[in-house]
Amino acid sequence: MDSFHQRRRRDLFVAFIFAGLAALAPLFVKDVYVQNIMVLTLMYAALSQSWNILSGYCGQISLGHALYFGIGAYTTALLFTKFGVLPWFGMLAGGVISALIAMGLGYPCFRLRGHYFVIATIVIAEIGLLLFHNWTWAGAALGIDIPIRGDNWLTFQFTRSKLPYFYFALALACVAWFVTWWLEDSKWGFWWRAVKDNPDAAESLGVVVFNSKMGAAAVSAFLVAIGGSFYAQFVSYIDPESVMGFQFSLLMALPAVLGGIGTLWGPVLGAVILIPLTELTRSYIGGSGRGVDLIVYGGLIVLISLARPQGLVGLFSSRKVPAQ
Amino acid sequence: MKITRRDVLLGATATAALAPLGARAQTSEVVIGVIYPLSGASAQIGVDAQKAFETAADLINKNYDFELPLAKGEGIPGLGGAKVRLVFADHQADPQKGRAEAERLITQEKVCAVIGTYQSAVAVTVSQICERYGVPFLSADNSSPSLHRRGLKFYFRAAPHDEMFSQAMFDFFDAMKKKGTKIDTLALFHEDTIFGTDSGNAQLKLANERGYKIATDIKYRANSPSLSAEVQQLKAANADVLMPSSYTTDGILLVKTMAELGYKPNAIVAQDAGFSEKALYDAVGDKLEGVISRGSFSLDLAEKRPMVGKINDMFKARSGKDFNDYSSRQFMGLIVMAEAINRAKSTDGEKIREALVATDLPGEQTIMPWKRVKFDSMGQNNDADPVLLQYIGGKFVTIFPPQAAVAQAVWPMK
Amino acid sequence: MTAETIIQSLASGLLMGLLYGLIAVGLALIFGLMDVVNFAHGEFLMIAMYITFFLFAFFALDPLLSMPLVAAALFVFGAVVYLLIVRFAVRAKANAGMVQIFSTFGLAIVMRGLAQYFFTPDYRSVNHSWLGGKTVSIGGIFLPQPQLFGALVAILAFVGLYFFINRTDFGRALEATREDAGAVALVGIDKNRVFALGWGLGAALVGLSGAIMATFFYIYPDVGASFALIAYITVALGGFGSVFGAFAGGIIVGLVEAATALMLPPALKSVGIYAVYLLVVFVRPRGLFGSM
Repeated sequence: MDSFHQRRRRDLFVAFIFAGLAALAPLFVKDVYVQNIMVLTLMYAALSQSWNILSGYCGQISLGHALYFGIGAYTTALLFTKFGVLPWFGMLAGGVISALIAMGLGYPCFRLRGHYFVIATIVIAEIGLLLFHNWTWAGAALGIDIPIRGDNWLTFQFTRSKLPYFYFALALACVAWFVTWWLEDSKWGFWWRAVKDNPDAAESLGVVVFNSKMGAAAVSAFLVAIGGSFYAQFVSYIDPESVMGFQFSLLMALPAVLGGIGTLWGPVLGAVILIPLTELTRSYIGGSGRGVDLIVYGGLIVLISLARPQGLVGLFSSRKVPAQ
Repeated sequence: MKITRRDVLLGATATAALAPLGARAQTSEVVIGVIYPLSGASAQIGVDAQKAFETAADLINKNYDFELPLAKGEGIPGLGGAKVRLVFADHQADPQKGRAEAERLITQEKVCAVIGTYQSAVAVTVSQICERYGVPFLSADNSSPSLHRRGLKFYFRAAPHDEMFSQAMFDFFDAMKKKGTKIDTLALFHEDTIFGTDSGNAQLKLANERGYKIATDIKYRANSPSLSAEVQQLKAANADVLMPSSYTTDGILLVKTMAELGYKPNAIVAQDAGFSEKALYDAVGDKLEGVISRGSFSLDLAEKRPMVGKINDMFKARSGKDFNDYSSRQFMGLIVMAEAINRAKSTDGEKIREALVATDLPGEQTIMPWKRVKFDSMGQNNDADPVLLQYIGGKFVTIFPPQAAVAQAVWPMK
Repeated sequence: MTAETIIQSLASGLLMGLLYGLIAVGLALIFGLMDVVNFAHGEFLMIAMYITFFLFAFFALDPLLSMPLVAAALFVFGAVVYLLIVRFAVRAKANAGMVQIFSTFGLAIVMRGLAQYFFTPDYRSVNHSWLGGKTVSIGGIFLPQPQLFGALVAILAFVGLYFFINRTDFGRALEATREDAGAVALVGIDKNRVFALGWGLGAALVGLSGAIMATFFYIYPDVGASFALIAYITVALGGFGSVFGAFAGGIIVGLVEAATALMLPPALKSVGIYAVYLLVVFVRPRGLFGSM
């Protein structure tokens, strides 16, 4: 166990260094397009890290996390545009609502296994999408256009500067990372490992494991919803398709899968590689209109998932990857 | 990044090659950003749009003898004959990506104006970014009426929006009723994205104002695998007029399903979109004899204005298709923008904006049946009269309004 | 709402449901064989529709005639996909489930990109085929011929598949490989060969549905997306591992979709399908006829 704790201290140390370096990056990168990619990368790192808590560590693969993302985005935007509630409170409200919904859904869903569970998560998120699509008060398909009233930290709006968004996304990514780091060594983390190593243990630990899964679902949904709130502020326009679509659930999972599912560093690594790749292929090859960007992007996903099934994180560390 | 550098090099080479041609202002090219869905479900629109914009750029950059702004002579005279260079970007129908691309075009490619976007949801974010950077944005083909009502200074739309389009439809109904045609009940059939929702709302409002009964109002999920249940309800309602607001995919499926379920409406008056696409008529044109669609373009304008036919041929040579409602608006989008840049004599955003505000282009100098191009305080051109076209014998003829009509409406449809 | 409306809706729903079943059965077969969910299933359908279209456009071959060719082409395609990609995905020692999901998902994106590259994003459709646009009317209830024919093919395919799995050597080899690949190797059956044939067979079934779909549906690179999710739900509803389940699942999905559209605004008709899926698995976590 000594080496385990040594390694955890090293992880924490490395995280501090990375976060510090990332915080300094805007000093050197002035181009807003590149800054935009950095914001998205951090946002996806945070989202994927949060997704990883439930799907990686807990083994409950969700392809419906767009639901929580959308609820976060909508709660913030609706509270602000309809009632004038500042986004900071909206963010918290969205997180809490999402966490409650996640627990409510987890209760029946955690009985399902494998693909039955995965499809249930997809289907539930699709129901949410359709409801928002037809909910006139919430803008239905027209979405919500958040009016811009100039730079202000209170309303978390900045006309041109990306820096406030960058630092918020960085903070969110750090929080998500730290929560994961902390969970790894908690009672919950211990049970999850136990269940994975020995499925029979699941039986004897039944109730406590079930409760820990509910907890993981809540934490995961809460953090993803904060990400959704952030997205609403960052883009300042949301509509059901762009915050709750199925694509979003996949995009959230991809960095963790490519980086290393159920690992501490996988989501970060995956996001750092995947998001710039997505953006750059679209921007610089997508303009041809011939679908080459899709071929490159999809081809890389196939190659990476076949060549490094345990994730790219294996390239950087000798650390044992928890088996699925 | 490599590609940007290459583009810069290419640009530089081109400039060097042109240098001996003579005196020019310091601006040798005018870079305009064009944002469309170039991959994903609506890539077909984006790919056609590229051809329309390239046709317009070609007209500006080379010497043609048309009564169209900037067609005569090479390049933009107000900037010493500078050539228009288009930079295309792909937004994949995602508002966030549209926003990122707009920002990239403005900050990296240094575009002086942006045109787009097909999807109205993307126009919302793209126009926001343009507003923030003080770069004019022109909605070439977005028809959502909410777009110009957001108090943006740099937003312009030369084409009509859905309320104007729907108004034309109801004017037409009123006129037909006066002639004794029975039009009492309407069936609305619209998809559930921003386009269908806006269109459905506008039609519902107008129907109530003008005393038409809505027999049924069906909102359906775009790209559904089946429309049987929906068509069944349309058939049961059996309204005097069916008014679909559908994109190409759903339009094809709608018409096929109607034929399969033996539903033959008296008349179809479509809110354009899919019903102006060649693909739809290739697929189910034989079942659509007599369908009426709103539009802002009609090829039979070529009889009055020969250049329309010639420019259409130029577009056809590139794309293999005739101009339709979308490609014609996209084409005009670039012409209107370039005409303003010419008068602005500058690539500065504020100056171009002032020039756009002062735009007053007579309809004869466009390829559209519009009265003129003149923007109101919200950036909307209210003189862009929409027309109604009827599909007769494999092509569209203009039937409304009377001053543009070349034929009487055939009612009921065959 | 008249009785006629209800009967017509349910009849249309039933026909569509049989077709959903046919689309899904390939997925069910592959899953039953080797526990792999093919996330590019919708794109297999898209390819089948394009092949049908091109055979029609260039060789004036009616979809009815080209159906066996399309199925054969898809058979080869499915086997190749197995040998080039899935074989390695299954071999993955870590995260096998995720590797399968994302390697086939990546394949789906590549296939869409390739389709756009080679076929352009234009919408295509097969016009004036023998069945296309024709319809049978029985007492005021309209049954479109393409869907009727599709329903017939679906029933035949299920009957054929049933006999194939239970009565032929290859079918038994499939079944045995599924149950215990290690033991099968001992008696001299090459696991990869069996799996490749299984993938080919699953894809060939998608080929059949693609040829039928092409007679009444539009074709473009993203067309598979509309059907993929329905196919997954159909298989899961019927129960993974059960070919008959996919058949039943398809019928249920088609009927529920039609019934929901009668009761709720049509824009919400998928909600009915989703709700039924959730209800079923909450009560029976293995789907209706699932074995695992």
